[in-house]
Amino acid sequence: MRELGDRIATYLAHRWPHATEVAVEEIERIFGGASRETYRVAVRYREGEARVQRRLILRRDPTSSLIETDRATEFHAYAAFHGSSVPVPRPLFLENDGRWLDRPFFVMEEVVGAVSTPKLLSEPPYVELLESIGEQKWRILGTIARADVSTIGLAKTLEAPALEDCWRRELDFWEKVIDDDELTPQPIARAAIRRLRRNPPPPPPRLSVVHGDYRTGNFLFDGTGRIRAVLDWEMCHLGDPLEDLAWALDPLWSWPDRERPGKLLPRQRALALWEDASGMTVDRRALGWWEIFASVKGLAIWISSGREFADERNQDPILALAGWFPADIHDRVLVERLAPEEEPL
Amino acid sequence: MKPEVDVVLRSMMTKLLLEVAPAVGDAYVRSNVEAMGALLAAAAEEFDRAAEVRVAENRSMREILRAATKHVPEGDLRSRLAVAAEEREASLRITDLNAANDRLRALLIEIQTLVEGSDEEWARRIDRAIWDELRASARRRAISFYPF
Repeated sequence: MRELGDRIATYLAHRWPHATEVAVEEIERIFGGASRETYRVAVRYREGEARVQRRLILRRDPTSSLIETDRATEFHAYAAFHGSSVPVPRPLFLENDGRWLDRPFFVMEEVVGAVSTPKLLSEPPYVELLESIGEQKWRILGTIARADVSTIGLAKTLEAPALEDCWRRELDFWEKVIDDDELTPQPIARAAIRRLRRNPPPPPPRLSVVHGDYRTGNFLFDGTGRIRAVLDWEMCHLGDPLEDLAWALDPLWSWPDRERPGKLLPRQRALALWEDASGMTVDRRALGWWEIFASVKGLAIWISSGREFADERNQDPILALAGWFPADIHDRVLVERLAPEEEPL
Repeated sequence: MKPEVDVVLRSMMTKLLLEVAPAVGDAYVRSNVEAMGALLAAAAEEFDRAAEVRVAENRSMREILRAATKHVPEGDLRSRLAVAAEEREASLRITDLNAANDRLRALLIEIQTLVEGSDEEWARRIDRAIWDELRASARRRAISFYPF
């Protein structure tokens, strides 16, 4: 880890020509995600006579990951929303040259004094703050849906599908992930995909920014109940805003609680807050389509992670964990949605 | 008497979670140890039931395929359904049961694709039987705890 810290210091000295004596004081790898190796880095340097200390986050491409994503997509999303009412960390450097740290990476400022672990929401002080955190969570998602893709600059970096193709593009993509990575035949996922293709949703009223993985666990909240930053934009794209809403509502993120998506507010309240912030009315039939899609997408991600682990391309335990527990739950959720019976599974 | 595999795995899980993880200073390594503990607990649960789950699934899928064989038009699919429906387990090893399970699941997908577009009574009956089996399979394979 010390060697990596030294190499990061060398890189930062290159990017900060005004700084001298650049040194990494602490470096720590952060668990989870697995789409990037994520490090918390404390740096000090001199700027003239002044001593400066900064806390940074470095996200490096892994040798293998849950999902293949483009670091530039994530970096540009941070750049697009930084300074807006959608809180994100300040992005600093995007580096595609592998000579610095063997693989491409990007650097952003750390948001200190905040946590993202969903389990903490059931403990003090956060358990008393669910209303506040929940209200912000759904309003922020509505604000992302409302953002003008041209004004914030993402129309230049993200492909814009035709409105009527939003669903097909996503379904094609995730079906191919299952085609490529399944270790065993997947009758539940296949039945869901056929159902989705037979009953496509109406096109959205307009193209929105879709975060791609907006859920409890992917934003930082503090002890006053304030959401400080929305993270993990690596699957960001332009599309139907109901895709994000359905993903955030998926039962997995509050399992086994079905009443409060993401362990925060009741579903109807979440929808009302989203509608208010986005300025859009939720088409319940279309949302139902996107909710089935969300579980298919989830399964695709878990299938892919199980494949990575089984093929020994990446033996990080998080990949085995992801390939086992959430895959099991998404199978159950899909059966329940596609062939419901009176009692939930 | 040797301790059973699931007993050993649960014991290792307890050691990892209660003794090893708290002693690890590096948060990333500690989280990995906790993840390993959860995986050992799931493996212990799976060890005891793995053969039973697969035998039950394979039997149920063969019954569905046998019922469908009578109605599917003569040809390649019907032949494959008939062969699979009458197959017996090569052994009770998990690798053999899994290989049969994969073959049967692939056929189940084929037959469901065929029947779900049909209005005929036999097709609706087979479709219902498939969903009943998929629901039962999801229940059989459910792990009793969720570590996140």
